[in-house]
Amino acid sequence: MSVAKTRSEDGILTDEVRESPVDQAIFGTRRKLLLLIAAVLLVLAALAAWKFLTDKPVVYESALDHYKYGSIGSEPGGSLLQTVGGLLPPYRIFRILPKIAPEKLPGGYASLGLLFEKDHDMPIGVSRRWRLGFDQVGLNCASCHTGTYRAAPGAPPVIVPGMPAHQLELQKFFDFVTSAVLDNRFTADNVIGLIQEDGGNLNAFDRYLYRTQLIPRTRETTLELRSKIAELLGDPSIQWGAGRVDTFNPYKAIQFNWQLGSLPHSELIGASDFPSLWNQKPRVGMHLHWDGNNDSVDERNRSASLGTGVTPVTLDRPALQRVKDWIMVLPPPKYPFSVDEASASKGAAIYQKLCVECHADEHFREGVVAANAKYVGTVVPIAQIGTDPYRLNSYTEKFADQQYSLYPDSADRFTHFRKTYGYANHPLDGIWARAPYLHNGSVPTLHDLLSPGKDRPKTFYRGYDVYDTAKVGFRTDVAEENGRKFFRYDTSLPGNGNGGHEYGTSLSEADKQSLVEYMKKF
Amino acid sequence: MDNDVIFQPLKFRNLTVKNRLFRSSISGRFDNYNGSGNRARINWESKFAKGGIGAIITSFVPVHVRGRILPNYAMIDNDDKIPFWREVGKAVHEYDCKFIMQLSHSGRQRDVPGVENLMNKSLSSTDNMDTFHGLLCQAMTKAEIKETVQHFADGARRARAAGLDGVELHSSHGYLITQFLSSAINNRKDEYGGSLENRARFLLEIIHAIRREVGDDFHLQAKISAVDNNNALYPWEKKGNTLEESIQVCKWVEAAGVDAIHVSIGSMFPHPQLPSGGFPADELNWWYGGMASSGKRGFLNYTMFHYKALRPIFLGLWNRTKKDRPVEGVCAVEAREIKKHVKVPILNTGGYQSGALIRKVISEGYTDAVTIARPLIANNDLPHILQRGEDPERPCSFCNRCLINAVANPLACYDQRRFPSREAMLEEAMSVFHPAPYE
Repeated sequence: MSVAKTRSEDGILTDEVRESPVDQAIFGTRRKLLLLIAAVLLVLAALAAWKFLTDKPVVYESALDHYKYGSIGSEPGGSLLQTVGGLLPPYRIFRILPKIAPEKLPGGYASLGLLFEKDHDMPIGVSRRWRLGFDQVGLNCASCHTGTYRAAPGAPPVIVPGMPAHQLELQKFFDFVTSAVLDNRFTADNVIGLIQEDGGNLNAFDRYLYRTQLIPRTRETTLELRSKIAELLGDPSIQWGAGRVDTFNPYKAIQFNWQLGSLPHSELIGASDFPSLWNQKPRVGMHLHWDGNNDSVDERNRSASLGTGVTPVTLDRPALQRVKDWIMVLPPPKYPFSVDEASASKGAAIYQKLCVECHADEHFREGVVAANAKYVGTVVPIAQIGTDPYRLNSYTEKFADQQYSLYPDSADRFTHFRKTYGYANHPLDGIWARAPYLHNGSVPTLHDLLSPGKDRPKTFYRGYDVYDTAKVGFRTDVAEENGRKFFRYDTSLPGNGNGGHEYGTSLSEADKQSLVEYMKKF
Repeated sequence: MDNDVIFQPLKFRNLTVKNRLFRSSISGRFDNYNGSGNRARINWESKFAKGGIGAIITSFVPVHVRGRILPNYAMIDNDDKIPFWREVGKAVHEYDCKFIMQLSHSGRQRDVPGVENLMNKSLSSTDNMDTFHGLLCQAMTKAEIKETVQHFADGARRARAAGLDGVELHSSHGYLITQFLSSAINNRKDEYGGSLENRARFLLEIIHAIRREVGDDFHLQAKISAVDNNNALYPWEKKGNTLEESIQVCKWVEAAGVDAIHVSIGSMFPHPQLPSGGFPADELNWWYGGMASSGKRGFLNYTMFHYKALRPIFLGLWNRTKKDRPVEGVCAVEAREIKKHVKVPILNTGGYQSGALIRKVISEGYTDAVTIARPLIANNDLPHILQRGEDPERPCSFCNRCLINAVANPLACYDQRRFPSREAMLEEAMSVFHPAPYE
């Protein structure tokens, strides 16, 4: 017999609760059962916590792999109740998306210029991270800053990290992802069926979560995203094309909920070329972005990461720092073909006369800024430079103001953005790999850039990566290769103007050749 | 009917009964709570004696309070009970009816332990709880075995002192002695467990102790379950003793000095095969509640009985082996097999009511007499009816409502179909209290 005594506060015995042997046996069994249930619940809770609260990126040992495939936190995150960030559907869905609407992307992601390497199922620039109970994917810096070149049509492409992704059609990529998710065929049955066919091996619990949570949520967030940037995706007069992105208009809509439809149409034309990401260290303090609207490398990095879908909550600061540390010292790629040194040395002299003040010289690649490069990293007024103004005009004072209101109480608050009224002079390290030229990629080669605006190519194709060593740039005469259609660039369209930067245009052809030869060494 | 086999006297070594009809052990809760007796039992037993039965085997009479099955059952645990039993015996003898006391110990099968037993576990051969209600128990020490053997011997001495005609050992139906005999229950490692011989040791020691106490000239019979069928309810349980094993036990029992063997079946009571007939779920819902706290499985069982949707689960298990046996003469075949192997007379229980069947089993050598409970509750004067060569007009339906009511209410027939009204049924049930002590 057991006796449990209950005493009042002043110690007086108020009751005795006794248990018979049968009670003890029953309560003992019940206690064991409850303990078992509690233990099972605890294990389930631990498993659920492990599944849903774990935030685990795929980690890469080498800095290069981290740059190409590592997560900077652009996958959806936050909490299950309030998911924030992310632009792409979860990993399993992202993989099968081209099969949902096959006619929309017959060539798969590669046909949009996304680069695939052996032993990686995701393209360069798409990271994987376990968040909110599932394998998620996000974009990282490498998506827009990794390019390829080829020596000849039959040669294998060489992947160059940090190089502008001149082959990537980012607008089409977003258009495809959002329209496939919103396609009528994006049903739970269809998606789960395709995932299983794709080797997803979803268990019953995961299938349930896909059906009731993941798939509906993906549709909802995509619908919201698509409706915000609808004006940028559905308008044939707004075409980013290969190698370009409109940095700030999606930003206005996604971060600040601007109604893009209410802006002047001209403001929505803001596409410009992806810049290179190498050799950032000597750029510290320079005015960055094409229009030089920010002189902080850190802010520029964080702002660019917003474009991949990160938020202050989901940003993986150490991972981004690792990328920053790497790109600070990443050397620009050496020109991979032969250089006529005699001609180049002639060109060097011309360069010293005409170009060095604004663009520094070949030694910038070693971090040395030429003493006479007094204008490098500064903004030249638009009236003076004369290049296409659309990109400049799409970044407005009103927008700059709003950038300061972003995350006001956090360390991530921007303090360096400002509206400028011209384009910035950039150093030319690795310039051979940064074709086509000018901020909007309107001039295919360095050689063309030395022609007067009126004589530069009017239309050409972008996205093809076979190199033109004579003119220094990519070949622009190929409309299609292996089913991939390249972007026809029409310089007569708004935002695509190829005028301005009329420097060196009056040089002799031989001098032009020498100058171009010299710039191969950058 | 002249020369009716039913009404031929049955001679035992120390006892002669006027006919072949015995009232088998049965009782309701109408004695005093503490096991002392009152007028009601005299009224109860007199009904059957008056009805022409040859002998009455008493209710389950515990030799110790720790071995009771329900409160309000008269006991024989102390000499102070002798005067009461003497009065009952006298009343029965007035009708030329013999009166045999069933010496009993519940072991672990203690349906309602009562306040006296609330804080103890019952004694048994094993520590394993009973499988039906989850009644708890502990394996007896050798000292406790010795003590309990003596309780049986003392009970026999008191029965003889009360002037009763004999005693029956309740060594069947899953009570304490079965708990030693049955291979499905007894898991002892000492000389009281293991082999059949060891398992029978407790019973044989009791018989020897009784003979030592009362001598050889006092009627002593043993009730034996011919087969255990311990897995009749829950198929995952062990099967228990076989007929062959029981025949061997009967031979040993006969050699030890019993005067008759009373053949039944089942390693527990009630058992799906005995008492035969129905198992009324409505009555279980009404009355099993009193047993819900008796054992570990009581509440679970009660839940099964209470919810109509759950009843088929239990009844499916309960009824699944019934088809193997007839309702009347449920274990006549086993009785015949045992009878072949022993010389002492055989009594057989199990739903006897029809005159034709009773005559058949006696005349064809299945048994020497039959013992009856439920049909006698339905018709106290069944012997007179049979003697007229008739069968009862309102026979027992074997519905077993009496069985389920017994745990809570005065034992009687609760099959309302046999009565003109509910009031008439209850009047008959309460007639056990008439005459009342102060009338």
